[in-house]
Amino acid sequence: MYFDPNENLIYPLYALSNWVLTTGGLMFVVLFVSLANLLVTRGKSGVGVFFAEIRGMISDVFSISPRRIWALTRLTFMEAYRRKALAVFVVFAVMFMFAGWFMGDTQEITPDQVKVYVSFVLTSISWLTLPVVLILCCFGIPEDIRLRSIHTIVTKPARRIEIVLGRMIGVSMIGVLVLLVMGTVGYIWIVRQTPERSQKFLVCRVPQYGGIKFINRDGDEGTGVNVGDIWAFRNYIEGATKARAVWQFRNVDESVLDADGNLQLENSFSAFRSYKGDMTRSLFYDIKFYNPENGVSYTTDPQPVNEFRSKLDKIPRKLTVDDVQYDLIKDLVTKNKFLHVEIACIDREQYIGMARPDLFIRMPNRPFWVGYWKAVLGIGLIVVLVSMIGVAASTIVKGPIATVLTFVLYVLSGKNSHQFMDALMSGDFKGGGVLESIYRLVTHMNPTTDLPETPAFYVVKGFDLILTSFLWLCKQVIPRLQSFNMTEFVANGFDVPFNVSILPSLLVTTAFIIPCVMLGYFALRVRELESK
Amino acid sequence: MSQSEAVIEIRNLSKVYRDFWGRPKVKALNALSLDIRKGEVFGLLGPNGSGKTTTMKLLLGLLFPTEGEITILGKSAADVSKNERIGYLPEESYLYRFLNAYETLDFYGRLFDMSAAERKERSEKLLDLVKLAPQARRRQLKEYSKGMTRRIGVAQALINDPDLVMLDEPTSGLDPLGNRDMKDLILDLKKQGKTVLMCSHLLADVQDVCDRIAILYGGELKVMGRVDELLKAQDETQILSSKLSDAAVKDVQEVLKKHGANVLKIDHPTANLEDLFLKTVQESRERPGHRTVIEGKSAS
Repeated sequence: MYFDPNENLIYPLYALSNWVLTTGGLMFVVLFVSLANLLVTRGKSGVGVFFAEIRGMISDVFSISPRRIWALTRLTFMEAYRRKALAVFVVFAVMFMFAGWFMGDTQEITPDQVKVYVSFVLTSISWLTLPVVLILCCFGIPEDIRLRSIHTIVTKPARRIEIVLGRMIGVSMIGVLVLLVMGTVGYIWIVRQTPERSQKFLVCRVPQYGGIKFINRDGDEGTGVNVGDIWAFRNYIEGATKARAVWQFRNVDESVLDADGNLQLENSFSAFRSYKGDMTRSLFYDIKFYNPENGVSYTTDPQPVNEFRSKLDKIPRKLTVDDVQYDLIKDLVTKNKFLHVEIACIDREQYIGMARPDLFIRMPNRPFWVGYWKAVLGIGLIVVLVSMIGVAASTIVKGPIATVLTFVLYVLSGKNSHQFMDALMSGDFKGGGVLESIYRLVTHMNPTTDLPETPAFYVVKGFDLILTSFLWLCKQVIPRLQSFNMTEFVANGFDVPFNVSILPSLLVTTAFIIPCVMLGYFALRVRELESK
Repeated sequence: MSQSEAVIEIRNLSKVYRDFWGRPKVKALNALSLDIRKGEVFGLLGPNGSGKTTTMKLLLGLLFPTEGEITILGKSAADVSKNERIGYLPEESYLYRFLNAYETLDFYGRLFDMSAAERKERSEKLLDLVKLAPQARRRQLKEYSKGMTRRIGVAQALINDPDLVMLDEPTSGLDPLGNRDMKDLILDLKKQGKTVLMCSHLLADVQDVCDRIAILYGGELKVMGRVDELLKAQDETQILSSKLSDAAVKDVQEVLKKHGANVLKIDHPTANLEDLFLKTVQESRERPGHRTVIEGKSAS
């Protein structure tokens, strides 16, 4: 397994444009579905009703009463409380009372064990909170419609948009409350469960990552060596050659130095031996800092590779090269605040492997609780997103169907399903689209053989293009929850970076707010609440 | 708004229920037109399936009309802002059973954007008005009897001091005492100048409180008019006087005979609303499409 903390890195401008696209795409889908529904149920007059509802929605937005929304929010909250939904705390309490029995109780634990504790706590919180939220958000409105309690609300001046918002906020608030309580208990449990001597592993490292490129053994730009690992996350540089891994760090200035004025470089390089040699001796690497603007460079003494664990190299600010003293920040960092770092393997015919996240400048640590609560925030954002989607779905279909629909959307919102959909849409799969694949299966045609360019060929391709477009539409409706999982950062001892995880998660959540509210509004407006 | 101004105007209102495929299933209401005037108590009568509850739900925007127009308090039925002046008591009290009486009224008060002080004051006043026992007010509604639920239902319908009150079967589930209280309350609302529209199967109750009624059958309006006029026996003359002696009665009979009158009995006419209701339903069954009297005029 590997962990790439920068996998979802996005920049604010791109994030904003992406948010606009996602929101716009979703709104388009909602409006299109609403119009289609009205055309089917009301015939030609559906178009007029559609535009009247849009006007009504705009007018309702300006008539929204916070007191009415709060009334519906409180109602949702009291409903959950009085119907014993918060009994989930009992399950949580029982889990944590006995979890310690199965998770070790030694005087000293390793970072990996801390990782297990943190993952266990955050995963338990997430698994206990989400089902409760899912049930509450998907059954609230359908039950109101079934029991006709909603009649006493819609015959008051409550707007449909307020009903939807009240339910969404109410369920989200219940989820957040559950999270706060469980988060606090979980935090205390982690801290108490970790022995005194291992408390040092409960940290939030703040990394500053750079870009990487490889120089091959001849000194030309390359890709590094694949040593036969089928899962080539890391590439390797050959020892005692010109092979190098070159990192370029941005925005390097005094602020990256620690309290003692040192530059902390942390790495997690791996070693690959082409011959056994002395197994008690580590492989060695050196670090070279180089400023292309003034030609000044500095190379450290050979350093041993810490296999299977991370290693911290502290580089002093004042460096001496040939009796000349240089300042790391003033002389080795370019005017544009770039720092070039080259890693070379010292041992002949041995290899050191590395990927982009394997070397970073380590900024001053943050307290563990900062990262921990950021991870809880990530779960909170999922709770909010699920609440919005669930409530919107429950305005259209009955509770059980809304639950299944929301759950399926949640499952499909993972990294793998999005990658699969991307691959399907890219056309990279051998054998073509759906119809083409069926044709090939039936005719036993090899996927690598080109189809004959007959008129049927264009029909098949055209049909597959329509299906691909439909898949694109579906993909826009399915949220991308990859960035919401912040547990890995904390479990691996990192702070949760804003641009990598919090910003994308916030954007995805907010991108769903307007379309979900619109969908809920339209569904409640155009349906007869008397009809079951 | 003047006394005779219509609070509710219904024109050619039709409602067709459709199945999943959009095919017409039942025509619940057919070209209904009626006005309900400010300050009157109007009763909507009819057997089960006659369309009276459908009419009420169309008025409230819970159902959408297939054809026709509705104007309530000068606004369309689809306009949510009309609800600010309407109070509605559903056929069964579809209230939140996990709330207690105070929480229920507080919740509905918030929906009318009322301040906390207003909500508190109004809640106390209404709970006294509907005579809900103080010890029951902090109990959840799921522990209430049907009569108590009905009382809290009435209280929530009046939380906003509405101009138009719509009551669906207001006396159902009430004991005779509660029934009397409810009828007094309706008459009290009328005294306050409020308009009341009610549906009921209990014809005696309707007769007691309603100024005007409409009888629906098969989704069509069959009879509409003032209760006293509709119940009046048109081909008979009733003479009311203080108590007469037997000799005086004999003299009166003689005088009437002299004028060609066939004295049937010296008593009050016995016509009542139930007779009229049953007669209308019977006629409607025997002669579909036939309309007897609307506002005192004959119609075919």
